[in-house]
Amino acid sequence: MAVLEIKNIAKSYGKIKALDGVSFDVPPGSVFGILGPNGSGKTTLLSIILDVLQSDEGSYTWFGQEPSHLHRKKIGSLLETPNVYHYLTAVQNLRITQSVSGRGSEEEIDEVLKKVNLYERRNSRFTTYSLGMKQRLAIAGALLGRPSVLVLDEPTNGLDPVGIAEIRELIKELATQGHTVIMASHLLDEVEKVCDHVAILKKGKLLTHGRVDDVLSDEECFLVCSEHIPALRSAMNQFPDVLRIVDTPDGIECYFHKSTTSPWRINDFCFEKGIVLSQLYTKKKRLEEKFFELTND
Amino acid sequence: MFKNILQTEWLKVKNYTAFWLLISVAAISYPGINAIVYFTYDDITKGKTQGGAIAKMILGNPFNFPETFHTTAYLSSFFTFIPAIVVIMLITNEYTFKTHRQNIIDGWQKNTFIWGKFVSVALVTFIVSLFFMLVAITLGILATKTYTLAGIFGQSKYILLFSLQVFYQLSIAFLIGLLIRKAFIAYGIFIFYSLIVENIMVAFFKLKAVKFGQDFGRLLPMEISDRMIPVPAFLGKFDEAGYKAANAAVNTHVLYTIILTFLIWFLSFTLFKKRDL
Repeated sequence: MAVLEIKNIAKSYGKIKALDGVSFDVPPGSVFGILGPNGSGKTTLLSIILDVLQSDEGSYTWFGQEPSHLHRKKIGSLLETPNVYHYLTAVQNLRITQSVSGRGSEEEIDEVLKKVNLYERRNSRFTTYSLGMKQRLAIAGALLGRPSVLVLDEPTNGLDPVGIAEIRELIKELATQGHTVIMASHLLDEVEKVCDHVAILKKGKLLTHGRVDDVLSDEECFLVCSEHIPALRSAMNQFPDVLRIVDTPDGIECYFHKSTTSPWRINDFCFEKGIVLSQLYTKKKRLEEKFFELTND
Repeated sequence: MFKNILQTEWLKVKNYTAFWLLISVAAISYPGINAIVYFTYDDITKGKTQGGAIAKMILGNPFNFPETFHTTAYLSSFFTFIPAIVVIMLITNEYTFKTHRQNIIDGWQKNTFIWGKFVSVALVTFIVSLFFMLVAITLGILATKTYTLAGIFGQSKYILLFSLQVFYQLSIAFLIGLLIRKAFIAYGIFIFYSLIVENIMVAFFKLKAVKFGQDFGRLLPMEISDRMIPVPAFLGKFDEAGYKAANAAVNTHVLYTIILTFLIWFLSFTLFKKRDL
């Protein structure tokens, strides 16, 4: 059973379609990345599943049930900016989170503050915090009481590289403990490092979704290089099933449908054409490339 | 559920300096205005002049038990704008910090959130009414020479009327905050309307009462509840007929106020439920 099932959700702000018939499932125990450029509808989607916004069309279920506030109590969430009382300290704010959600205890408040490295400053007011510390408090709020599902909107916003790495490790750790993490981000590198599932949005439309490996590996890319590049390029153009060839400073990249060729066949083919290769390797496609490929018009 | 709501709202204000500062201002201004009138009256009537003696004879002491509840309620009602600022602050803060979203995200229903504010408004009303009672009783004790227990609480209905009036007017302040969202615009609208615009309109309708066939001013949002507490008896002596009419209309205005209070909260619950946060 999916933790979250989204069916055909649509939402408009006036004439602008923020979400246009988005559907996907989030499997239990997954780290699910929702990717998309700014304004693609990520936060709108998360706001809808957290009942802050109402969708115009479509529906969603949590844990296979009609969504209710009781589900939200079990979900640790961080939406857009740290939404906390500015005049209160970290501890006082977390007490409110605890009171509203019923998650956590006084000891667990200390525990999460230690986890996000805010323990030393736990009794300082929120207004005295740096951007990164504010974000850490919001993450602490989401983590309080070890909820089985976490919804994190741009969790690494405002964090320094060390902070980003810490959050990454934290998410990985949560995943190994069986928590489900749904995170929206435009930081592809982050998503690639921690997520096992991904959904890519653009202008409110779902472009693709599924396991990261599946989404990335619909094509294979081989980088080949030899002394005489033009000859190599014209030879590779004759290679059966080549989809396209791209020049790079390191040589040429040849794209194929998945499992339609292999390095030894390329090597063999070139050798027959009298070209000796100086380099040949399978290039793993990165999420970033896939993302640009999908989101570029 | 209400225990959780009360606890959460308490956590929100417990360590909020601005909240306690404004409550302190209310705590000072209620005794302040009443003490000024009390001591001014005392000064005039204590004088050995003939005028003073006549004034005392005609007016009586407005702070004697049980009239003190009426006089104090009337005078204190001019300062409801102070707790109103507190109420507007409590709701617009949630918008400013976007905690109205976070409360929902963390598992409250939208209704629970509005109940939270209802409880806060009730709590502020309770605090303010407590100040009022303390002032009324203290001045009553100071002013009254001889009194019986029955005589003390003869006018204690004004405790309820004052509380209802405060709760209603704070509910208006809350609705303005809920709709406007921006703290300073909401303060501006509430204070400008309640202290200036409505008073001008009340005076205008009073002037035109003959022309319009009746005094429509009494139906204005604040005035409708102000008329639950007519001018105190000592001021009523200047216009006996008007004083009697005002007293006769009190029950009608209590009814109007209760209906409007209900409507304000019904509107708040409905709006918040339907609106995107």
